[in-house]
Amino acid sequence: MKRDLVLVLVLAAAALALPFVGSEFAVSLALTCLMYASLSSSWALFCGSTGYLSLATAAFFGLGAYSGALVLGQLPWLLVIVIGAAVAAVTAIVMGAAVLHLRGTYFAVLTFGMTELIRHAVTYWEKRVTGTVGRVLVDVPERETVYFTVLALTLLAIVVAIVVRRSRFGLAMAGIGADEQRAQTLGVDTRLVKIGGFAISAGFAGAIGAAMSVRWTYIDPATVFSPFIGFQTVLIALIGGAATLWGPLIAAVVFSLLAETLRLQLPHLYMMSLGMLLIVCVLYLPGGLASLRWPGRAAP
Amino acid sequence: MTSRRTLIRAVAALPAALGLPGIVRAQGAPVRVGYAIARTGPWTGGAQVSQEPNYLLWAEQQNAAGGLSVKGSRRQIELVSSDDRSEVETCVRTYEKLMGSDKVDLVLAPWGSNANFAVAPLANRFGYPFLAPTALSRRLVEMKLPYFFLMLQQPKPMMDALVDLLTANGAKTMAVVYVDDLFGLENYAALKVAVQGSGISIVEDKSYPLGVKDLAPVLRSIKDKAPDAFVGLTYPPDTILVSRQSKEIGFNPKFFYASVGTAFQLYRNVMQAGAEGVLGMGSWNTKTSAGAKAYFDAHVKKFGAQKEPDRWASGACWASLEILTNAVAKVGLDRKAIRDYVAGTEHSTILGKIKFVGSENVGTPGSVGQWQKGEFEVVWPKAIATAPLVPAKPGWV
Amino acid sequence: MSAGAWLELIASGLIAGGVYALVALGLNLQYGLMRILDIAHGEFLMLGAFVTWAAHSSFGISPLAMVPVSFLLLMIVGIALHRLIFRRLTRTSATLDVFEARGLMACFGLMFLVQNFAQLLWGGDLRGYDFLAEPVAIGGAQFAANKLLLIAMALLFSAALIVVLRTTLLGKGVRALLQSPTGAQLVGIDTRRLHPLMFGVGLGLSGVAGCLLSMTEAISPSMGEPYTVTALIVITLGGFGSMAGALVGGLALGVIEAIGMHLTSPSLKSLLSYGIFIAVLLWRPNGLFVRK
Repeated sequence: MKRDLVLVLVLAAAALALPFVGSEFAVSLALTCLMYASLSSSWALFCGSTGYLSLATAAFFGLGAYSGALVLGQLPWLLVIVIGAAVAAVTAIVMGAAVLHLRGTYFAVLTFGMTELIRHAVTYWEKRVTGTVGRVLVDVPERETVYFTVLALTLLAIVVAIVVRRSRFGLAMAGIGADEQRAQTLGVDTRLVKIGGFAISAGFAGAIGAAMSVRWTYIDPATVFSPFIGFQTVLIALIGGAATLWGPLIAAVVFSLLAETLRLQLPHLYMMSLGMLLIVCVLYLPGGLASLRWPGRAAP
Repeated sequence: MTSRRTLIRAVAALPAALGLPGIVRAQGAPVRVGYAIARTGPWTGGAQVSQEPNYLLWAEQQNAAGGLSVKGSRRQIELVSSDDRSEVETCVRTYEKLMGSDKVDLVLAPWGSNANFAVAPLANRFGYPFLAPTALSRRLVEMKLPYFFLMLQQPKPMMDALVDLLTANGAKTMAVVYVDDLFGLENYAALKVAVQGSGISIVEDKSYPLGVKDLAPVLRSIKDKAPDAFVGLTYPPDTILVSRQSKEIGFNPKFFYASVGTAFQLYRNVMQAGAEGVLGMGSWNTKTSAGAKAYFDAHVKKFGAQKEPDRWASGACWASLEILTNAVAKVGLDRKAIRDYVAGTEHSTILGKIKFVGSENVGTPGSVGQWQKGEFEVVWPKAIATAPLVPAKPGWV
Repeated sequence: MSAGAWLELIASGLIAGGVYALVALGLNLQYGLMRILDIAHGEFLMLGAFVTWAAHSSFGISPLAMVPVSFLLLMIVGIALHRLIFRRLTRTSATLDVFEARGLMACFGLMFLVQNFAQLLWGGDLRGYDFLAEPVAIGGAQFAANKLLLIAMALLFSAALIVVLRTTLLGKGVRALLQSPTGAQLVGIDTRRLHPLMFGVGLGLSGVAGCLLSMTEAISPSMGEPYTVTALIVITLGGFGSMAGALVGGLALGVIEAIGMHLTSPSLKSLLSYGIFIAVLLWRPNGLFVRK
């Protein structure tokens, strides 16, 4: 644990220094890396250990973005982020209470369905109630503020992941992932643990959504509820190694950089290689790439 | 990063090197013009018809003439471009790089309202004038960004023109379908305002989500009500969908209007003879001016007969390039001076006179086009019409 | 609205539903039999559509001729994929749940792979062609000829599948496997040959749906995803593993959507479909028609 924390501190220092020494572009690139790093590690926090594959990241991201957009300008920046996280977390609690008793494939498919449902519901409500479909974000904070916010969220996600993994809560989730019935007989309140984990994961996605959306000035349901964000998060976490701490992080950085490089040559090649890598991983390395370095941690 | 830049430079220089050896004589450093455009993803269709080909044609033409005139002296244009993958975040990042790190001389706009919303504040922050030919929203105008200029006619003038055309030709009832998106909603709102007091009543209005696959049930119930006019506030895939499905179910109103995409060559390819009489958003063709014909011919010469420019946004895009060219020729590469020139002058372009009030182009009037015998003619207003309106659409074939 | 218009509306819904049923049948076969939830199913539909379009525009081959070709082509692809991917997964997965989860992830990867492969090969532009688009009048209502062909073929293939499953020995073997995998193996049914074959048939049906759809719809690399989702909704409604349920569920969904669109607006159609989906999954996870 100590080594992990030290490593995190070193990386944090480097990331903190970047806006002052790096170019605008380097900062933007770092921002994307950080965004996926936090999304995939918070996803892996819940889904990696419990084995419940959630495809709802886009829903939480979008809800965070929308709630943020609604209160931006009226409330201080930090509160905007907190509200984004809170709305997403509450939705996760409601969603979780309804569907977390289903297992495996049902759950994955349901989370996907719910994401689309939420997207269409938001579109409809916006159209009927507010007569518009997107939101223009006017009081946008400085770019550096956004960067530091996302950096802080990423660091928080990592720290939470480290702490949770060693805690009873984390062990309970891992237990659920290994054998849920057995965990129940051993006295774990699986329902509460699952809902809690799901909510934490969603909260981070919501916070990131609120933070990143200000860069786009105009948000509409199609952009912020884009399933692509959700899919890429899941792919990165799975390929990296959803059950590990560093797997999703390293994968997030590698793939963000890869995406940027390949974008100029063959962008489709990037997506195809992601798909290919996932298939290869599922076949030969179910624990993800991280299991090469840290074998022994149970594969989902 | 350097190798990439070198590659792009080499590629950009290739047409000039291959085409006109000996005539090309660059004076001084090249003018670096940067942009991000959709080459993959959902925005590709629009971007590759209405926008990027124009950028490429422009650079080629200017370079063939010796380069872009910068206050008299000619300098070669070097295009610094990349694919934005139809992602807003990628767009933002690319322009931050172009304007912040690479510090290019000029930038050209990306495709679509969403991307332009994201990039407009950036342009303002870095002080780069932006002429956007494919952005449409009252809200963009309301943002009052001094460095941002919208080339296309906004919803109000377009809908006013449509309603004027319809009332002048005796339409009394109208059915509307519109896409669940800023474009559809703003145009629908403008349409409702325009029909007030015009004597036209809206008998049915239904909205549909992006990416809809089947509108036949809606069209059938509209057919049941037999309106004089059908107005579709649609995107290219939906424009084609409503046209094909109306043909399928035999829905033949006197006036059939579909918005974006009707002005594309693609529409004629898909609908063939059935396109005859269909109305849509369009503002120019080869008959509009000599410059327009020259542009059309050059476009077809470079990209082939299967890649005609579209009769709406392409024209606006070319006009924006004309304005930029004139600005640089007159005031050089001082971006503030360019901005002031664009904002304060009345420009002569292939579309006619263009003038900006704030961000909005008030020189080009709202217009309506119609397919007649394989060409998309401008039929309203009479001042810029290239052909008279054919007052009733023939049955679908 | 007049009675004739209502009939038109319902017929329109049935036509859409026929395609849903066809796609759902393939998906159901794969999930019910092998517990492989193929969320890349729509991508193979898209491949079928593209192949038909390419054959039609480059060589002038009639789409009708491409129907069996699409089926065979996609079936071969399916058998190959099963051999390459799922066979190994069966071996290395400790429990059925693990297999399902890994299968889902593998299909997820496939979805990315196939969709972007198509984008790379054919580009993102919309394609289309006209085939049998002339309107046909049936009792006062008008339909496009190709839409009628669509529903006819969809029903034909669905019926054929169900008949094969009920009457032939092969079909009986499949149904036995659907009922009880272990039991079926005990009586000597060869899963090693049957699984890849049925996976292939599932993809083949998807390919046929794509081929038929290419006549009526615009073709693009992203056209498949909505059909995957709809197929998921249908097999949820009809019951995982029930063929007749998938057929009825598909047709029913088509009609519900059409009526819903008429009463409200197309914008609400998606809301409606997903709402039904989630409601059914929560209330009757085994599907509305399964009698378990």
